[in-house]
Amino acid sequence: MRQERFVERHQAEWRDFELWLEKRSVSARDARRHRREWTGIADDELPARHRRLCQQLALARRRGYSAVVTDRLQQLMQRGHSVLYQTKPVHWRRAVEFLLAGFPRLVRAEARCMLAAALLFVVPLVTIFVAIQIKPDLAAGLFDAQSLANFEQMYDPAGKGDLGRTNEDDLQMFAHYIGNNVGIGFQTFASGLLAGLGTVFVLIFNGIMIGGVAGHLQAVGHGDPFWRFVAGHSAPELTAIVISGGAGLRLGLSLIAPGQRRRIDSLIHGGRRGAKICIGVFAMLVFAAFVEAFWSSISSIPAPIKYAVGAVLWLLVFAWLLRGGRNAIHRDDEDAA
Amino acid sequence: MLDTYRHVVTPEGVALHLRAAGPLPRALAYVLDLVARIAIYLALYQLLTALFGGAGYAILMLVTFVLSWFYMVLFEVLMQGRTPGKWALGLRVVAADGAPVGWMASFTRNLLRVVDALPVGYAVGLVTSLIDPWGRRLGDMVAGTLVVHAARQQTLYEAQVAPALAPTIVLLQHEQAAVVAFAERAPRLTAARQAELAELVEPLTLSRGQAAVVRLYGIANWLLGRR
Repeated sequence: MRQERFVERHQAEWRDFELWLEKRSVSARDARRHRREWTGIADDELPARHRRLCQQLALARRRGYSAVVTDRLQQLMQRGHSVLYQTKPVHWRRAVEFLLAGFPRLVRAEARCMLAAALLFVVPLVTIFVAIQIKPDLAAGLFDAQSLANFEQMYDPAGKGDLGRTNEDDLQMFAHYIGNNVGIGFQTFASGLLAGLGTVFVLIFNGIMIGGVAGHLQAVGHGDPFWRFVAGHSAPELTAIVISGGAGLRLGLSLIAPGQRRRIDSLIHGGRRGAKICIGVFAMLVFAAFVEAFWSSISSIPAPIKYAVGAVLWLLVFAWLLRGGRNAIHRDDEDAA
Repeated sequence: MLDTYRHVVTPEGVALHLRAAGPLPRALAYVLDLVARIAIYLALYQLLTALFGGAGYAILMLVTFVLSWFYMVLFEVLMQGRTPGKWALGLRVVAADGAPVGWMASFTRNLLRVVDALPVGYAVGLVTSLIDPWGRRLGDMVAGTLVVHAARQQTLYEAQVAPALAPTIVLLQHEQAAVVAFAERAPRLTAARQAELAELVEPLTLSRGQAAVVRLYGIANWLLGRR
């Protein structure tokens, strides 16, 4: 068929398609509001129209029609493609469902990586802590004198009673904790792409640092205010760091041990799950920052209550991670695969 | 590395044309975004500290956090794959199959900037994007996305209308295409250049100068089916 005839025959279809793209593809809300006045292509007709257009484009290319036709069809096709193949928008209900069920399931699916990350974090932490109890001078090797003095002053039992806090207000500390901790969590995951080595380093480093500070404060007799301060937020914060570490190790593993997948596919698989885990980690760390800023800092609450709350939070976090999303409805979900 | 023009075949069996963007425009876009973020930060700094004092600093810290981790994600997903920097340079982020980028993919690719930025100045990202045929950095590979030059809307012209004229010799497919392309583009050239081009196919037009141009238009119209 001659080009001119071809254009003549299909021109109207292309115009309709173009009009739809211009008027109805831009904003879903707008499209909903004007659906009664709309007289062009019906929305449910679009996939069929798009396939027709693709066929016409293929024909036009095959027959060597000129750029006026092929380029125009090509552009229409690309615009149609990006409307038809967009990812589903996130619904808030699905987001809640993910936090309650999907996230724990993802974490359990990577149980070995999580365990490895936990060991990489806890073993140095406990080792340093114990070592400093036996030989308190070790702390001086980890931190310089100035930081040691800072720690001691922050958690001084004889101090003015603000736990672990100079006199900035809670809101500011909240913002600080979020920025700081989420940053560490995300970096722990992302550095796993360096064959997992980055994650291993971050986990061990943080283990040593936290163990060092705790050990030193315990050894010099500032233990009570320190433990009272950290009891509350320790559960969500430490588990979140370990979980992001586990996700990082998983990512590293998909690089060095892709198994039966192509390496790139394995990376995509590991990265997608890791990023999902990071969203859960993000939520945990925001929660931890809340607790840290608005609960941990209250020094008037007696130690038993603080410890009790801390213990309850540990229990809740573990119950959530171990039991969340174990219902049959989600069993064949892609997350668990 | 040399060919940055990519074809992706869609489920409908036609090819999407994607022009993978190289490191330089992407770096420039990044710098522009950095400047934009600093500008936003400074503006908010003035505003918030003047309005709220101490609490202003807290909000400012939250804003900094959002700017550093979610600025790119928000723009990429809500503005069809364009941050302000990418928009200025005519770039877009798309999924590897040419579809718009989603929340997870955008989050992943921006999360992994941490690695691409290693050890300094996005060195890892530069090396990988030079090696990869799609010009992707590590974050793009893992997220399954790529940065492309946005299709520029170019104006196309219909062929000049002229009395149709059957060609005296049989033209092959690509020769027909060339004649039609001439008819569509020549009206924007000078008369001398039109004649010069038309004279290249003297066996077809059997004439020279302006007459050759008119005859060629006629043949193009015949080929297009205008009778």
